[in-house]
Amino acid sequence: MRIHQLLSGAGPHDAITSEAVSFRERFRSWGWEGRDYAVHVAPGLNGHIRMIKRFKPKADDVLLIHHSAAAPRLRELLELPNRKLLLYHNVTPAHWFWEHAPNVAVQCAVGREQLPALVKAVGVAAADSAFNASELEALGATRTAVIPLLVDYGRLGPPRPGDPPGPPTILFVGRLSPHKHQDEVIRAFASYRRARAPDARLMLVGDPISSRYLEHLGNLAETLAPGAVSIESGLSNAELGERYRAAHVFLCLSAHEGFCIPVLEAFSQGVPVIARPAGAIPETTGDAALFVDDPDLSVVAELLHLAVTDAELRTELRRRGQARLALYAPDRVAQALRQAVEAAASRG
Amino acid sequence: MTDPEHALERARAAAATMRAEGAYGEDQRQGEAPATTLENLFEWAMIDPDLREVRSTRRLGAPVTLLKLGLVRLLNQYHAELLSQQTRFNVHILGHVRRLETRIDELERVVREQREQ
Repeated sequence: MRIHQLLSGAGPHDAITSEAVSFRERFRSWGWEGRDYAVHVAPGLNGHIRMIKRFKPKADDVLLIHHSAAAPRLRELLELPNRKLLLYHNVTPAHWFWEHAPNVAVQCAVGREQLPALVKAVGVAAADSAFNASELEALGATRTAVIPLLVDYGRLGPPRPGDPPGPPTILFVGRLSPHKHQDEVIRAFASYRRARAPDARLMLVGDPISSRYLEHLGNLAETLAPGAVSIESGLSNAELGERYRAAHVFLCLSAHEGFCIPVLEAFSQGVPVIARPAGAIPETTGDAALFVDDPDLSVVAELLHLAVTDAELRTELRRRGQARLALYAPDRVAQALRQAVEAAASRG
Repeated sequence: MTDPEHALERARAAAATMRAEGAYGEDQRQGEAPATTLENLFEWAMIDPDLREVRSTRRLGAPVTLLKLGLVRLLNQYHAELLSQQTRFNVHILGHVRRLETRIDELERVVREQREQ
């Protein structure tokens, strides 16, 4: 079989690009040929992903379309006679971005508009969570599959045995973006620090959606918890692993998540997770996270205090986190992927 | 030990106690992003690119960033012309939308009053 993957954008720190590269390794191990293409290819990908203008499929090739943002020239692609499999990674609603990153908002608005046409044109519509698949079903997809994100947790290094030394350290990893609510993480952390742990630290890791938004978060952190918050981006895998191993709790107050890889990374590093049960978060974490949806941030602060100080609770959350990871074992994901590709290929 | 199923309940109780003792302020979650208003649109109509976004994302990309900023400076007259034409259109179309909204409000008021009579 020949299968080509098509992405709207590809970058060295992008989860979907990493997944496409992992998929390609699996395809090769199954004896499948093909190439991977993107409309925008960032420097540093070392030829893994080609520019889409070089894309010239043969009629019996299978196309795996990753959809996470606006896809230019989509109609040309959908008019190709090839069998197609859609893998929907979710598109964040545009209203989160209009103020701080209008270019991203446009990408998201158009990406959502394109979704019905995509669903109609493909043989099999897959998504990386049941939450995302439900959006496809709402648009009329009758045959959906769930292929969780294929993540290499080993790249972060081995977890630390026991708790990290030093003052209570809270971590959140994710794009610095309004829908991820790093602003609320900072506010909740500031309350926790004021009431329970004056020496606590907060680490925010992620690429900013715009310089303006980064400045906004930096100002908020300096106002509410001066000197206690670090904001970093562009970290290597080793550096990211170190941040996880330095953390006592992973706090995610995101309002929209189509999957959320960082909570699984936290599980893999033995870091207890507190999360807002939004989007696909409950599905991804199962019973291994502490959920909080209270508007009162002092409740989040008290939950942080509990998760930092209750050793048995931490041990139980670590145990559940490890059990949860088994569901996302690479071989299981690869099996779901293979089934979906073969189902798409078998449709004439 | 607190089991995970009862942790939230315990945190709520502790927060209430601590709040009564004055440990917490009134910090509340912000919630959803507000809907875009006509006032937002007027603010955004004045195109004002953030030059901090003109940069290289490569490691050691400072010379490339300087080159890009130099090009922006060289093309300053062209960009000024482009921005002025786009802003002219934005401001006029928004003025038109505002006038239409005012007319709709007025018509709705008349219809309401007629129904009440």
